[in-house]
Amino acid sequence: MKIEDKQKLGITGILIGIAAVVLVALGNPKNMGFCIACFIRDTAGALHLHTAPIVEYVRPEIIGIILGSFAISVIGKDFRPKGGSSPVLRFVIGFIVMIGALVFLGCPLRMVLRLGGGDLNAFVGLLGFIAGIAIGCVFLSNGFTLGKAERQSAVEGIALPFATVLLFVCFLAFPSLFLFSETGPGSMRAPVAAALLAGLIVGVAAERTRLCMAGGIRDIFLVRDYTLIIGFIGIFVASLIGNIITGNFSIGFEGQPVAHSKHLWNFLGMVAVGLGSVMLGGCPLRQLILAGEGSSDSAMAVLGMLTGAAFAHNFSLASAANEGPGINGKVALIVGIIILIAIASIVTMKERRKA
Amino acid sequence: MLDAEDIKVATFHSHYGAMMFHKRIGGDSEMRPVPRALSSSCGTAVFFTLPFDEKWTDENTEAVYEKDGNSWRVIWKR
Repeated sequence: MKIEDKQKLGITGILIGIAAVVLVALGNPKNMGFCIACFIRDTAGALHLHTAPIVEYVRPEIIGIILGSFAISVIGKDFRPKGGSSPVLRFVIGFIVMIGALVFLGCPLRMVLRLGGGDLNAFVGLLGFIAGIAIGCVFLSNGFTLGKAERQSAVEGIALPFATVLLFVCFLAFPSLFLFSETGPGSMRAPVAAALLAGLIVGVAAERTRLCMAGGIRDIFLVRDYTLIIGFIGIFVASLIGNIITGNFSIGFEGQPVAHSKHLWNFLGMVAVGLGSVMLGGCPLRQLILAGEGSSDSAMAVLGMLTGAAFAHNFSLASAANEGPGINGKVALIVGIIILIAIASIVTMKERRKA
Repeated sequence: MLDAEDIKVATFHSHYGAMMFHKRIGGDSEMRPVPRALSSSCGTAVFFTLPFDEKWTDENTEAVYEKDGNSWRVIWKR
């Protein structure tokens, strides 16, 4: 059974890597076939939640991932509406994860895709991500938990998938409601049908295999298990080969697409993402998958990320490509990491006192 | 041990719950990810072969299953 799980994760990883390379070939920004953080941020822009003109688009990939997970979890009887596990804290942690990701310029999935494109700044990000996960594991091993999720009504579990359908219908029927970038990353788009299909495939495959960028590293630290990390490796290998074939591979630090070489801030950005992901029980991709399975807790984390993305651009917290973060982004990130550690410490101490 | 006929698996609401359960059993148990067949969540489970004893559980213990052919049968649930 173990080997089977690893094979499925390997195949899923390869599938995601290939889908990402294909989406880039079809028009998405380089090394951004998928990026959960960037695409939620683009969607926030399209919804007028921020007005950064270069990052506005209703990304069908996000819609596809949530609906793919929702559909396969209903079919596979994994759909279980549940929640009530510290929803406000999850919103806050999702918010901070988004700030960290936008200082680095990518979620953990894009970090792996950037590595596959030869972007060595992503390696610095990976070191930060591992450090953040390690800090999170120390808290988990000392009692950290956001609390037990309880069964909820089907209406609660369906709310986010339904909102996603509504958004997609409005996007197709009334595009003038939304903002669309004319230049920059938001203007670079694979065709809607291809982006939606790729999202659906990833949503289905990631739901079945529980693929998670943070979970693979967490499981190595916590239980010496190497199953989930196979998905991570699969994405890297497939995107590396795909980028070499399509001529998009370029190794180095400088001049990488939608990236910067401020090492400290790449590192710290991903510390926030790694720590926050462990506290939430999964990376941003995994939050979309769990929200599709009916977790209103993960839906709260997704809403936190959406709000964080809006704040990141309204208050100049996000890094600029090639330049890195400004002072606002640096301060917000440091404060964010302090808040994450404060939440984790307080909750852990309370749990220890209970035990 | 994971292939043993009399294997049992306990699931939890938190990683710390799994650690405490593992500690209370003492030897002959392993912490592993929850089997996919039991849950779509990705928490930590404890596998063991000793006869199940309820005194190992606490408020963080969710359920205990035992192997039943190719599937799992619930033997304890909070």
